[in-house]
Amino acid sequence: MSLRFLPQDMNWICRPCREPLQPGMVELHYMGNVFKVELPVCPKCGAVLIAEELALGRMLEVEQLLEDK
Amino acid sequence: MEQQELRHWEARCIQEEPPLCRAGCPLGVDGRSFARTMAREDLAGARAILEKTMPLIGIVGRLCEAPCEQYCLRREFGGSIALGGLERLCLSSVPGRGKILRLPARPKKVRILGSGPSSLTVAFDLAKKGYPVVLLHLADGPGAWLRDLPESALPTSVLQEELARLVTLGVTFQPVADLDASLYATDAGDACYIGQDDALTPDLRTMLEAPDPMTFALAGPGLFTGGLCSVGHPYRLITDVSQGREAAVSIDRYLQGASLTASRVPLRHGQTDLFTETKDVAVKMRIVAADPANFTRQEAVAEADRCLDCQCLECVKHCVYLAEYGAYPKTYARRVYNNSAIVKGIHQANRFINSCALCGQCETLCPKNFSMAELCLDARRLMVRENRMPASAHWFALLEMRAAASETALVRHAPDKTSSQVIFFPGCQLAGIRPDQTLRLYARLRELQAETGIWLDCCGAPAHWAGREEEFSQFRDRLAGIWDSMGRPQVLTACSTCLKIFREHLPEITVASVWTLPLTTGAKGVSRPALALTDPCTSRHDPATRQAVRALLTAMGQELAPLAMSGELTECCGFGGLMEGADPALARKVTAARVAQANGVFLTYCAMCRDQLAKTGKPVLHLLDLLFADTTHPADEAPASLSARRAGRRLLKAKSLEELPTDEPWEKLSLTIAAPVAALLEERRILVDDIRQVLFHAAGGGASFEHGADGRRLASARLGEVTFWVEYRLVSESYHIERCWSHRMTIGGGGES
Ligand code: SF4
Ligand code: SF4
Ligand SMILES: [Zn+2]
Repeated sequence: MSLRFLPQDMNWICRPCREPLQPGMVELHYMGNVFKVELPVCPKCGAVLIAEELALGRMLEVEQLLEDK
Repeated sequence: MEQQELRHWEARCIQEEPPLCRAGCPLGVDGRSFARTMAREDLAGARAILEKTMPLIGIVGRLCEAPCEQYCLRREFGGSIALGGLERLCLSSVPGRGKILRLPARPKKVRILGSGPSSLTVAFDLAKKGYPVVLLHLADGPGAWLRDLPESALPTSVLQEELARLVTLGVTFQPVADLDASLYATDAGDACYIGQDDALTPDLRTMLEAPDPMTFALAGPGLFTGGLCSVGHPYRLITDVSQGREAAVSIDRYLQGASLTASRVPLRHGQTDLFTETKDVAVKMRIVAADPANFTRQEAVAEADRCLDCQCLECVKHCVYLAEYGAYPKTYARRVYNNSAIVKGIHQANRFINSCALCGQCETLCPKNFSMAELCLDARRLMVRENRMPASAHWFALLEMRAAASETALVRHAPDKTSSQVIFFPGCQLAGIRPDQTLRLYARLRELQAETGIWLDCCGAPAHWAGREEEFSQFRDRLAGIWDSMGRPQVLTACSTCLKIFREHLPEITVASVWTLPLTTGAKGVSRPALALTDPCTSRHDPATRQAVRALLTAMGQELAPLAMSGELTECCGFGGLMEGADPALARKVTAARVAQANGVFLTYCAMCRDQLAKTGKPVLHLLDLLFADTTHPADEAPASLSARRAGRRLLKAKSLEELPTDEPWEKLSLTIAAPVAALLEERRILVDDIRQVLFHAAGGGASFEHGADGRRLASARLGEVTFWVEYRLVSESYHIERCWSHRMTIGGGGES
């Protein structure tokens, strides 16, 4: 599965590195499954930002699907 | 679950048993559906229901003497439903559909002697099944005594129509001069039926012995007889038709080489296991037709509307959860079974299984003691064993349980004592929700018995409810060990759930409810209007405690307002069985349904029930509010938040130790949380403690971001199974929390795209 999930507002900076976040491919893991998702990432340390809409929207849906909840 | 277990479960729910009318109809006509459909004025639909089971519908529907009416449940409440009259009106109002489905032709031939109602029924039933039927009748035409009926009872045209339908089904009518013994001596076909409801010659009649009363078989191979009803019999027609039907069943079995009796259900004669509650049924008199022989359409609809729609549904009527899924336990057992049987693919019933409150009300209400709780708990255990329990279903409750059993747990003798006669086990909910009252109660207990220790812990109910047998049994062993180390004192709980868990799973421990002690102090409390006392669902099988609570209230002069479902029929507050974790919206419905059952103020003796019910905005008191006027909380106090409960347990532990709570480093952070944000946290089950930890991590170099323009900041950290995100602004050294969210997925390696 490959998804693109960049928030509208990409104007975020990684505080420790002082670098603006950029789109990057990230792996999300859940219950033995792996998804590649495009998310805002710090180009220096790789820190990933998960916005509220993603966490409570698509991510939650996929979690529940995998749990058969 | 094994197939066999499924059968066992299914057999316990009698909702699918026939209503009395159907059990009283020798043809098994579904009188309930028929009457309900008539009541909706859908006469064509009603006719279609009759056609499913009734042969020769134009004749039988008009002439049936309705023996079912002897059994109808309405009988004692204004008179049985006039199903006979309703059928007549239905048939004379709706023309038949004409063609009847016939199965593919079969080779074996059936010969019928006589043309009375029983013979015509045999012809109808077997021709439909594809057998070629030859029916011998006297020269004046088929029908026997039906031909002598007045036009008003059976119009000639109707008889002709039914006979014509038999012809289209493949019945050959053959006139003969006499119905005598020679007829079957020459050709008996592969099977032969002799209908005695016709003018047989005396020589034929005398040679027929009495047939087997169930199969209507005669001693001779392939020979059957029926139509034995005497002329003046009150149920003459339907009896003969029924004998024809039973003989037809036998003939079909005979021609297929099957046993005539194997797993054959005998006629029920009104016997059924269906239970229907009648305590709220009001008398409603039978509709008197203006023309005694025939209902008008309007009269018929009104008469049909008296039908009680006999069903059991005792459990479903009272349980929001059972009603929510639109069926009843018999079908639910199948659902649970199918869910367990699936190896791959979606388990449709996971949420269903995890939403039961396990409160046991169904078992108490059910005439056969069907326990959904047992069914669901077994299914949950299987899910855990097979490692397919949704991780999120019970996550939060289990975290709370583990924290209450470690971080905020404590056991000690009374401050100035070195042993305990008894030990007070308030339960983690009371401790968290009402720490002040817990201490007040503890003080009172020490007045009654100086050697009363205190034991702050959780009984492990969440692990039990979640189906986690292993964790629960470790929990049990741990509790048993602690109790042993305290010198095996009697345990006093303030929570019905703890009490039940101790009783059922730690039988070596002597345990009682605190409410059975003389707790009243004599101090004058506020006088209050009558209160609706709701018993916790875990007190269902504990009449002694329920009585004791009432005795305390009487001693205080407190009046009680009536509440229908109480005592052993009491209902769950919406927390039981961890239903909230699986389906929060359903839990809210359960809670709302409970508080809707009485006006005015509720009263309970479970802290969880108190706060759960108070979520609806209903004023709810805890028994402690009445017992100790010095620590009363108002009935309209908002329920304690999840964070407040954690803090309450910590405070209680510290106070019991007579120490200040030890602060974790993150507890020094200054936070500002506006009310709407606090509500959001509660809904998302995020504790203030979680937020502090996330912020603390971020300050120490963990993941944190800052908006390029508006000064918002974001911090995140993984705490246990969940990653939390906190969005905030730093305003003069204080964290102003704006939003928080979480997810369970973990973030793996990444790179630039
Ligand atoms: S009340 Fe209705 S369903 Fe019940 S026995 Fe009578 S006709 Fe049948
Ligand atoms: S009470 Fe419920 S479980 Fe019991 S027989 Fe009736 S419908 Fe079935
Ligand atoms: Zn960085």
